[in-house]
Amino acid sequence: MSGADEQLAALFRDEANERLDHMVETALALERGDAPADAVAALFRDAHTIKGGAGMLGLDRIVAIAHALEDVLQRARTAGELPREEIQPLLEAVDRMRAELDGRPEPEPVREPAPAASQTVRVSHEKIDRLLEVVGESLLHHRRLEHLSAPGVEIDDELLRGERLLDELKDSAIAMRTLPLGSIVSSLPRAVRDIARSEGKQAELHVSGAEIELDRTILETLAEPLAHLLRNAVAHGIESSDERALAGKPATGRIELRATQRGAFVEVVVADDGRGVAQSVLAEARGGASLADLLARPGFSTAESAGDLAGRGVGLDAVKRHVEGFGGTLEVRSEPGRGTEIALMLPLALALLDVILVERGGRVFGVPLSTVEEVTQARDVVALQGRRSLVLRGAAVPLVDLADVVGADAPALGIAPTAVVVANGVRRRAIACDALLGTAEVVVKPLPLLGRVPGHLGAAIRGDGTIALLLDPSWLVHAHESAGGRAIVAEEPAAALPQQTVLVVEDSFSVRELQRSILEAAGYAVDTAQDGQAALARLTANPAISLVVSDVEMPNLDGFGLTRAIRADARRASLPVVLVTSLDSDEHRRRGLEAGADAYIAKNAFDQRGLLETIDRLVGV
Amino acid sequence: MTVAVTIEVGAERYALPVSHVEEVGELGEVTPVPGAGPAVLGVRNLHGRILPVFDLGGLLGVDHDAPAQLVVAASAGVSAGLAVSGVVGVSELDTSAGSPAAEPLSRAVLTGDALVGVLDPELLFTALERHATS
Repeated sequence: MSGADEQLAALFRDEANERLDHMVETALALERGDAPADAVAALFRDAHTIKGGAGMLGLDRIVAIAHALEDVLQRARTAGELPREEIQPLLEAVDRMRAELDGRPEPEPVREPAPAASQTVRVSHEKIDRLLEVVGESLLHHRRLEHLSAPGVEIDDELLRGERLLDELKDSAIAMRTLPLGSIVSSLPRAVRDIARSEGKQAELHVSGAEIELDRTILETLAEPLAHLLRNAVAHGIESSDERALAGKPATGRIELRATQRGAFVEVVVADDGRGVAQSVLAEARGGASLADLLARPGFSTAESAGDLAGRGVGLDAVKRHVEGFGGTLEVRSEPGRGTEIALMLPLALALLDVILVERGGRVFGVPLSTVEEVTQARDVVALQGRRSLVLRGAAVPLVDLADVVGADAPALGIAPTAVVVANGVRRRAIACDALLGTAEVVVKPLPLLGRVPGHLGAAIRGDGTIALLLDPSWLVHAHESAGGRAIVAEEPAAALPQQTVLVVEDSFSVRELQRSILEAAGYAVDTAQDGQAALARLTANPAISLVVSDVEMPNLDGFGLTRAIRADARRASLPVVLVTSLDSDEHRRRGLEAGADAYIAKNAFDQRGLLETIDRLVGV
Repeated sequence: MTVAVTIEVGAERYALPVSHVEEVGELGEVTPVPGAGPAVLGVRNLHGRILPVFDLGGLLGVDHDAPAQLVVAASAGVSAGLAVSGVVGVSELDTSAGSPAAEPLSRAVLTGDALVGVLDPELLFTALERHATS
C-alpha cells in the first residue's frame, strides 16, 4: 500500500514542480509581454492540476493556495488578461506552493548563491546512491583482487588495509543515506490527537528515539504505515474515557512511538496502554500461529464492534508485508487490559545486502542471507498429495523448485539438489536449486518500471557484469507453486466475477496513476487516456471498457465534452460516466449532470471509498 | 519539425524524438525477469545501471523476428530499453503534417514510401508500465 502511495507522492512532487516551473515561465512571459495567447488559460490549467493532485494526497495548504490562484486566474480568463500587478503575488504564491511541496515552512528567498561558508551541502540522493554503487563495485573488485594475487605477506597486508578503507568508505556512504526518524514523525502527535477526538477519546503520543537514523528509502515509505499503526492504536487499543476510568487507568490514553538501535536493525515500537487484544485471540495465538500472523489475517479486526474503522487487520497485513518486503519483521505483543505493542524491526541500510547466491536453470538469484536458516542437500524427501517436503532433523519442511516458484524455464533438477531453507515469520520453505554459488555483499538496485512484478527485491550487478535478481523472502515462502513452471500466481484478491474495465481519463500523470492504483487494488482492470479525445479513441479500441472515470478540466476535449460525445453515440448511451473534479460548484455539478454524467465526485472530497462505492454502484460488482 | 530517431520493428517504422533517446546500440545480454509481462524481455546492465528491456514489437502488436538492436528511451528521469529490429537513422520529421494515431503514438507521418508512427514518450512510458505485469 504505502510503497505505491509514496511513489505517487513523489510522482506528484515531480509533476507539481514541473508545473510550477511552467507557471513561473508563463508569468514572466506575461510580464515581458511576449506570452502566447493562451497563457492565462495555461496558468489556470497548471494551478488546477496542482490543486487536484494535492487534494488527493491531502496537501491541504497547497490546495488552498492553488484554489486562490484559480479564482484570480478565472477572473483574468473572463476579463481576457491578467493585470500586471497580479503577477508578483502570483509568483509569491508559486514560491509558497513549492515550499509546501518541499516541506519547508517558508519559501526560500530567490537570491545569489551564498558564499561558501556553510557547514553543510545539499547532495541529491541520486548522487549518494551512485557513490554507494561505486563502493559496492569496489568491494567486488577487491574480492577479485584477493583471488588473483599470489600469497605473500606484503600483498596480504596491503589487501587488508584496502579492505579496511573500503569498509570505512562504505559506512560513511551509508551514513549519508540515513535520516533521523524525527524527520517523519513531527506531524504524528497532532494526528493522534485528531484521530482520538474524532473517535470521542483522549490520547497522547509520546515519541522517543527520534534521533535514531534509518535508511532514507525505508524512512520515506514508513510514514504511512506508522500513521496506520497509530490509527489502529487509537481506534482499537485506547478505550473511551469512561471505560478507562472503570479500569482504573488515567482518562487520557498513552501511545508511545519508540525507536531503538539494535545492531544492524532499528526497532520501532508503537505501544498503547489500551484494552489489548481479546483473550480468545491470545489463546488462538498460543495454539501455534504468531499473534502478528493472526492479526494480519485478511479481514481480521481487533475491534469488537465493526465500526467504520473496522477491518484494520487488513491494514496490518499490508504493513507487515511492507516491512518484510525490505527484509524487516513485524511482531505483536499484547496483554489483555494492559495494552498492545507492535514492533517493527527495520534494517539500518537497504542499499547493501548480504545475500546467498544460487543458480537455477543457468540464472543466478540472490536471497537475503538474514532469512536463510541453512543450506543442505535435499536427500531425505517425503511427499503427500504430490507436495514434497524435506525432512530436516525430524521436521518436514515444504520443498519447492525455485524455477516453479519464480516461474522460470529450467531443466529438471538433479538428484538430491541443493536446498536453501528460507524462514520468514513462522513459515519455512526449502527452495531447491542447481547449485549454491556462495554469499556476497551486493548493492541492491531497484528494477525500474518493473517494481510491481511480484517476488523481487531488486537486482544486483555481479563482478562479471551479469545480473542476479534478488528474491523477496516473504514471497518465496508464500508464493504458490505454479504448475510446470509457468506463470506466477501472485496473491491477488479473489475475483469471482468477470473483471470490469474502467477507463481513467485525466491529464495529470500523477493523478491518473493514483486513480489507476486505487482501482487496480480494488480488482478492476484499468485503461487510461490523457484527455477527452484520447478517451474516445480508447473507447473504440477497447470494447471491454464498462465505465469511464473522467476529469473535467482537460486540454483538447474536456470532461463535459467527452460525456456529451459518449451520450451522442447510440452504442454507448448507457455507458456509466463518473466525473471527478476539483471544480466543486453547484454550477459545474449541474453542467456535468446535464451533459449526461451518472455521478459527479469532487476531488477535495475524494476518498478511495467514495469513488469505489460509486463505481460499484454503477457497474454492479 | 521534430528531430527523431527512426526505428524498424518488423516491416514497420516508428520514430521517437531524439530528446527522449539516450543511446542506441546492440541488444546485449538480457536477464529475464520471471513474473513480468510477455512484452518484458528482462533487465540488462547498462553502464552499471539496471535497465528494463521491453520488446517494442510485442508492445505494439507487430509481427517481427527476434529483435537485435536496443534503443534506450527516457522520460521524466526513467529510462527503458526498447528492443527493435533495426535503427534507420536520425532525421527531421514534420509531425504537424501527419494524421492522429492510436496510443502510444501521437501521429502517423507519411515519409517517402513508409508510414512512420511517432511515439509519444509519455504515452509510451504509460504503456511500458502497464505491460510490466500483464
